[in-house]
Amino acid sequence: MDLIRNLRNVFIVILFGFLMSACATKTKQMGSQLQGDVYTGTDTVEYLAKGVPDRVFFATNESILTTASRDTLRKQAAWLRKNPDINVVLEGHADERGTREYNLALGERRANAAKDYLMTYGISSNRISVISYGKERPVDSGSNPLSWSKNRRSVTVKAN
Amino acid sequence: MFTLPFALKKPIDIPPIVSIELIQITDETNIPYAPKAKKIIEKVKKEKEKLVSEQAPPKKIKKEKPDSIPLPDQKVEKIQKIEEKKQNPEKEDNKIKQVSEFEKEEMFDPNEIAALIDKSKEEIAFTNEKSLEVSQSKDKSMNSKSLTLTEEDALKAQIFGCWSIPLGLPYNENLLVRIKLKLKPDGTVIRTEILDHARMNKPGQGFYKVLAESALRAIKLCQPLRVPNTGYERWKDLQLNFDAREMLEG
Amino acid sequence: MMKKIRLIILTIFLFFPNNVYSLIEVDITRGNLNPLPIAVSPLFSDEKTIENGKKELKLDDIGSEISNIIENNLLRSGLFNPLDKKAFLQKSDIAHLKPRFEDWALIKAQALITGKVSLENEKLKIEFRLWDVLAGREMIALAFTTVPSNWRRVGHIITDKVYERLTGETGYFDTRIIYVSEEGPKIKRIKKLAIMDQDGFNTKYLTLGNELVLTPRFSPTNQMVTYLSYFKNLPRVYLLDIETGLQEVVGDFPGMTFAPRFSPDGKKIIMSFAKDGNSEIYTMDLENRIVEKITNHPSIDTSPSFSPNGKYIAFNSDRSGYQQIYTMKSNGKSVKRISFGKGLYGTPVWSPRGDLIAFTKLHKGKFYIGVMRTDGTGERLLTENYYQEAPSWSPNGRVLIFYRETKSDSEGRGFSAKLWSIDLTGYNERLVKTETDASDPSWSSLLSN
Repeated sequence: MDLIRNLRNVFIVILFGFLMSACATKTKQMGSQLQGDVYTGTDTVEYLAKGVPDRVFFATNESILTTASRDTLRKQAAWLRKNPDINVVLEGHADERGTREYNLALGERRANAAKDYLMTYGISSNRISVISYGKERPVDSGSNPLSWSKNRRSVTVKAN
Repeated sequence: MFTLPFALKKPIDIPPIVSIELIQITDETNIPYAPKAKKIIEKVKKEKEKLVSEQAPPKKIKKEKPDSIPLPDQKVEKIQKIEEKKQNPEKEDNKIKQVSEFEKEEMFDPNEIAALIDKSKEEIAFTNEKSLEVSQSKDKSMNSKSLTLTEEDALKAQIFGCWSIPLGLPYNENLLVRIKLKLKPDGTVIRTEILDHARMNKPGQGFYKVLAESALRAIKLCQPLRVPNTGYERWKDLQLNFDAREMLEG
Repeated sequence: MMKKIRLIILTIFLFFPNNVYSLIEVDITRGNLNPLPIAVSPLFSDEKTIENGKKELKLDDIGSEISNIIENNLLRSGLFNPLDKKAFLQKSDIAHLKPRFEDWALIKAQALITGKVSLENEKLKIEFRLWDVLAGREMIALAFTTVPSNWRRVGHIITDKVYERLTGETGYFDTRIIYVSEEGPKIKRIKKLAIMDQDGFNTKYLTLGNELVLTPRFSPTNQMVTYLSYFKNLPRVYLLDIETGLQEVVGDFPGMTFAPRFSPDGKKIIMSFAKDGNSEIYTMDLENRIVEKITNHPSIDTSPSFSPNGKYIAFNSDRSGYQQIYTMKSNGKSVKRISFGKGLYGTPVWSPRGDLIAFTKLHKGKFYIGVMRTDGTGERLLTENYYQEAPSWSPNGRVLIFYRETKSDSEGRGFSAKLWSIDLTGYNERLVKTETDASDPSWSSLLSN
């Protein structure tokens, strides 16, 4: 028990050090995490497998895939081809700066943009289902452009 | 239909919508006045009483039927009537609108307006002699047809303060009510007449009646009107055009 | 002789009534927009009634409780100023008498409500009167009989009658609001359907919160509600009978159905169906389950709302490139864009009177609730805020209820979702009290019709 507490203290100290150094470069990082208003950072990104990011990001009110998004989706397609037993759900999301109903439609359109791209890389539509959460399931609660950019996303989730 | 597992299984406990009977209790004229309030504010009260003896109740009392029935009995009767009706299931739907013949006579909507008009008539009768005398003595000295700007401003400012514009009025309708007044030299109102009172009964013009009533209240509240000291002949007949549109659109 | 002169003058008087030629006219174009001062005298109840009220309804004094409901309703309407009861010179036991108007004029009341309550043998009887204090006249006198548990509704019905008589419009107090109750952190919000009286009382929860539920809407008969549920992670339109608790899927298509609303006759549901990245508007006849596709365009078409006569549909589409409001005939023909102002427009809702469409507008980072005529002219923005949307009309078309969210930091601190109401005039913006955070309000029709 003590050991755990000590370990945690050490961890907190290290984390604190990290944050201190992060602060110095924070503004710079903020800028580098957005291209236009599309999120390019990795804060919220999880991985389906090593080197296979699970999500792609969109510009405000857009469902067009960026170069980076297409790159991510090609990796996903390759991974799916290698793992033919795995089916996926594409979860489309929007930021909180829109009306609820329109955002549901927008999330659906985003997830389908990703689905279409996966299909052009040979993934059968039978393996992909799509769901939209609109603005209902943000990953970042913040009310600022960076948080919103993280929430405008389509996430590929293993279905089985 | 089936019950889905994610909902509460039992029916939702919301009290049933039981229809509620509406009846009209009685005509106003049958009601005795409340006893005077305790003399909490002695002085004000005394002043007030003076005013009262000048204005309010006498007309009403005149109208009062000699054989007026005490109210409580009447009420019981009528509620019982409704209960009888209830036993007839076919009539259920009409319940809310059901009114006995007797009550129908006294339905306020149409009659209220009649009452307004009646009252003005009554008041004319009350004052006719006086105004005739006035018109007798007056020449056709009606050359100065308007109030001076200062006079008009004083009157306007006074009425602006008294007029509570009903905020619920539709802002996109014609919201002009023209009221003709007959005044005493001291600015007391002898008679009011709504010039377009026919409009009050038109369907879809319910708001007009509300507006007209608000204008009448304003005049009552402002009495005596701030009239010029001189030139009674000029302004003893006065028309006030209440127009709420500007206020409601803004 | 005298008589003759009189006669002549009388004749002159008759021929030239009202001295038309000399009449001075004064235009009164201003008044005060102060709410009408009204005195709500506590409804009188005898000892037995008070006793029964304590026993059966757990109320200290049922008469004053009901008058509190009326007073609160009138106050929140913004059109009335209920006067402080402490200033009243007359007690409540004047219910069966004609008030001494001068006592009420003295405290500046222009209207007065009096009445009495009796509660005996499981029967609640209420009589009330509305008086014009300045004219010294009775304006309404009505009596109701009902079951005791309806006591709050009685207060609302009386308010409706008073409101109707003094404003010339039908009231909206004997109504309910259905909404989404929200709890928990922003990234994992728990949402339940909830229903309450228009004044925030009698809240009931209709779902347990296991599934995400959104956008409930009343049917015109008030008995049914249509809404979106993520039951089994399949976003579908459902129908719920609030009196029996029975539910069913109505939009079980291979894709997502959402944004449901009833047609004005309650016989159809209009909704969006999204598939392969395209949302279209459909109707479903609830009797024969026939589905009709109304729009046909590769853009997002959603948030449909029927006009009250059922002949037109307003909806939201981004076919121009951005979210705008369109109207069309109920068969999908004659599509016409009506929003041309700066910014994005969403959530069109046709007013019950049929002459206006309420909407949400997003412009330069601000959200507005506004109204425009059905051809898109006469746009008026009623309220501006960081985030607000989804207006719903009161049944008389005088008030809009909507929800508003506040800003939060990355941990979600500062976040809240609340219901607000505002008058069509843009005056009288008010928080609508709810037990939890709340969104997606939908106003019922009048219950007593």
